[in-house]
Amino acid sequence: MALNQVPDHVPPEMVGDFSLFTSPGMLPTPDGDPQAATACVHAGPPIFYSPFNTRDGRGTWVITRATDQRRVLQDADTFSSHRSIFASALGENWPMIPLELDPPAHGVFRSLLNPLLSPKRVTALEPAVRERAIALIDSIAASGTSCDVMKDFALPFAVSIFLRLLGLPDHRLHTFVGWANDLLHGDDVKRPAAARTILAFIDELAAMRREEPVDDFMTFILQAQVEGRRLTDEEVRGIGVLVFVAGLDTVAAAIGFDLAFLARHPEEQELLRSEPNRIVLAAEELLRAYPTVQIIRVARKDIDFEGAPIRKGDYVSCATMIANRDPAEFECPETIDLMREDNRHAAFGYGPHRCLGSHLARREIVIGLEEWLARLPAFRIKEGTAPIAYGGHVFGIENLIVDWS
Amino acid sequence: MHIVVHKTKCQGHARCWAQAPNIFKLDDEGYVLPGDINVAQEDELLASRAVRSCPESALEIDRTSAARFEPADMQPSAGEA
Repeated sequence: MALNQVPDHVPPEMVGDFSLFTSPGMLPTPDGDPQAATACVHAGPPIFYSPFNTRDGRGTWVITRATDQRRVLQDADTFSSHRSIFASALGENWPMIPLELDPPAHGVFRSLLNPLLSPKRVTALEPAVRERAIALIDSIAASGTSCDVMKDFALPFAVSIFLRLLGLPDHRLHTFVGWANDLLHGDDVKRPAAARTILAFIDELAAMRREEPVDDFMTFILQAQVEGRRLTDEEVRGIGVLVFVAGLDTVAAAIGFDLAFLARHPEEQELLRSEPNRIVLAAEELLRAYPTVQIIRVARKDIDFEGAPIRKGDYVSCATMIANRDPAEFECPETIDLMREDNRHAAFGYGPHRCLGSHLARREIVIGLEEWLARLPAFRIKEGTAPIAYGGHVFGIENLIVDWS
Repeated sequence: MHIVVHKTKCQGHARCWAQAPNIFKLDDEGYVLPGDINVAQEDELLASRAVRSCPESALEIDRTSAARFEPADMQPSAGEA
């Protein structure tokens, strides 16, 4: 099928003019608000077909209601998570684990990895996370009255936590940030090159730890057993690549969007600064308002879904930002209310694939906000600058220059 | 108040535990422990909030004993009143 062509089985009246990549507000935009820009779909039908809704130009069905997204994501028998999204960039076909495995194989690996990122385990990691946040913010405070939140805080913070998890030293931080940037935001040349570099790095790390085990994530994976056997090289690689890719710019982007919101809302900023015990609840609302990920599934069989003829092999998109602005799920979804209760947001997905790193991500966001507000005075967007935000497969923010002079 | 735990629906979001760690217990993987929960009257507001924040709707307040729970249930969410 040619790119961006509407398949024959899609009724023309079900084609919608909306894409997380190309619709208004999705391309990099100064002072952009891509999550808010997705809310327009709620005026339309619960499901439509968008011909331009992946990076590689394939179309997807778009699920616009939170309750329907829940149905899709909870039904792994009908909607597969195996897309080989990383491997296919290299012309290969192997799953990132556990994301691209379907049940029952998924459950085996999920059980292996869950304890490493469980709420209990994250509590144990918390002092190190806080120490890292404090070091970065103190250094920012000491060096002036302005900084780029993304470059000086959000990215180094998120990446260094991930390095610590993998048991790697901080001095490679800039190298990893560069790889992540090329992989997630690079062009058709940079992206596969970065994918190859990351793959070689993961393989090399596995070889090193195999030879000389230490107390870290990779060593755990190499020594672990599933179904009474050791993991294959491809499985080790599938886990390593996912941990590398998933933990990098998602948390950084979330912190960027959150601090951008606070920079623009001095009264909310002051509320959280004077009553820091509100930050945990506020972080959930910020996760609702500024989620970053589009989740895509592949239909395993023909199914009629809310009147749409989904055929085996079709892509089905569950964009978390669309679910999180669904008026049927959230009262006044466009209002960002830091005291909102009962916040069943979809930032970490639904169903068996619920983000494995969600507990760590949450703590990173909360701790980042706590320490930022405790250590820096009232801040705003620096005059004459405009943060550039964008949509796509992972929503993000390129730069966020703030000022507290 | 009585809370029905739909263990098979739990996907380990741990939103219940985050709000009421003394009421909702997790296993080593971070999923809610099986078995329905009886909630003391003074904890009902907290427990009902936790139930309402489960993204998978894996927790359910047993309506047969809902009479005592009314005050919490009727209370509008902060900021939306």
